[in-house]
Amino acid sequence: MSTLTKITTVESKLFLRDSTSAVMTFAVPIGILVVFGSIGFTEGDDENNVSAGFLPVLSLALAAAMLGLSVLPTVLATYREKGILRRLSTTPVHPVNVLAAQLLVNLVAAVGAAVVVLALGAVSFDIGMPENPVGFLLAFLLMASSLFGLGLLVAALAPTGKAATSIGMLLFFPSMFFAGVWTPGDLMPEWARPVRDVSPLGAGMEAMQSAWDGHWPGATNIIALLVVTVVAAAVSAKVFRWE
Amino acid sequence: MPIIEVRNLHKAYGSTVAVDDVSFEVEEGEIFGILGPNGAGKTTTVECIEGLRRPDGGSVSVLGLDPIRDRMDVRRVLGAQLQESELPEKLTAAEALDLYASFYPSPANPAELLDDLGLADKAGTRFEKLSGGQKQRLSIALALVGNPRIAVLDELTTGLDPQARRDTWQLIEQVRARGVTIILVTHFMDEAERLCDRLALIDGGRVAAIDSPAGLISRVSTEQTLRFRPSAPLDEAVLTALPDVTAVSREGAHYVVTGTGNLPYTVITTLAAHDVVAAELRMDQASLEDAFVAMTGRSFEPQIAA
Repeated sequence: MSTLTKITTVESKLFLRDSTSAVMTFAVPIGILVVFGSIGFTEGDDENNVSAGFLPVLSLALAAAMLGLSVLPTVLATYREKGILRRLSTTPVHPVNVLAAQLLVNLVAAVGAAVVVLALGAVSFDIGMPENPVGFLLAFLLMASSLFGLGLLVAALAPTGKAATSIGMLLFFPSMFFAGVWTPGDLMPEWARPVRDVSPLGAGMEAMQSAWDGHWPGATNIIALLVVTVVAAAVSAKVFRWE
Repeated sequence: MPIIEVRNLHKAYGSTVAVDDVSFEVEEGEIFGILGPNGAGKTTTVECIEGLRRPDGGSVSVLGLDPIRDRMDVRRVLGAQLQESELPEKLTAAEALDLYASFYPSPANPAELLDDLGLADKAGTRFEKLSGGQKQRLSIALALVGNPRIAVLDELTTGLDPQARRDTWQLIEQVRARGVTIILVTHFMDEAERLCDRLALIDGGRVAAIDSPAGLISRVSTEQTLRFRPSAPLDEAVLTALPDVTAVSREGAHYVVTGTGNLPYTVITTLAAHDVVAAELRMDQASLEDAFVAMTGRSFEPQIAA
């Protein structure tokens, strides 16, 4: 077994053993889907420009955001704080393998949560499936990569695991607002819409909703997600400390 | 040929000089101690050997390799136990060892190692549930799992209770018996005296002396002191006449005899010849701490009870 496979296997076990990450990834999005699905929040709202896919898109966007902005940076910053990355530096294996394994595990968790949410939405609430599945997958992966990129940046800058959790939460709440979690579609105030179009969560949700309705994600959304991913990854690669 | 050579090592962090000028050699198969107060530069010195830090000056050679340039080769033969390094809370002891074993070309058998370190019944226990002593033993196991030729152990017994410390010492002697060369960083005098074949006293980023523990002590003083209460009246002259005795004084009912050579043997046989038994006998010798004070001109920092 290659070193990365071995480390990824161990990191996935640790991920599953941590109840917080499991709850955040699966229980929260499923809960949102079930609660809002049960009260009939499954129809689109053409008048306010809200896609029928808003509810499943919201659920899996929140799952990806919690993984990227909370679970990933907290785990990595804690590993550094406790000297786990430093300890690895004394072995023939570079700690960058742990970082890669963490990204993989969180990505698989995000995809897993997405599959469960979509299946549950289609089967239990008759929400249907994205009309443009390829565009949807692309939008989802880009959103996840930009959120994980931000998570790496938080992990790079936070001195401790607790600090990483706090910074992650500080990013999480405004992200939800600008993504239109409370004000979907045209219900969002005019001034906030440009931020929604380019903020990782907002752009990701818009792109996924377009794909849900059968279109291709808008260029502004895609470019914004790519820029955030590349810039966040480049900056964290530059400032990430292993000890 | 020495297995590790450190020459004029210098390392500063900004304007703070951590290691000023340190040189020493470690021979294969020995336990080499690096002893000094907190902040003396001990950890920085071994971090340069481990390849975790790049020296600002001087050179470090491990088996003829440069820990920075040949980092991969050095890491395969050197196992490290770091100060204050933990593992993920929910990782079990067996998983940790198994994972670390997979990093090395010819690792030790993780199950056997757990057994050797008395952790066999803790194999399935998560790191967060291990006691301080068990965590420390696991940390030693991780340092050994790659079958290293050199093990660097930094502040091995800090935070352990007295029984766990003694157990750990015994363990280190077993490791050495397998042929592993050990560098032991410590600020505990008793630990250094008990375990090390040779040690470097480090103070203020410089080497104050390198010798065996006994050698260091004998540099300061070869005098010993015996204190006892004679079971019958005794003429002081009997003792002062002995060639090994330099002084005799009385403290109430007790005699205090200072001298050199084989003082206890000479004094006790002389007493026996006069039908006197030495009661409440106590012997004092210079300690490693006295040696440190004498060689650095300052007292060893009070040891913080961890």
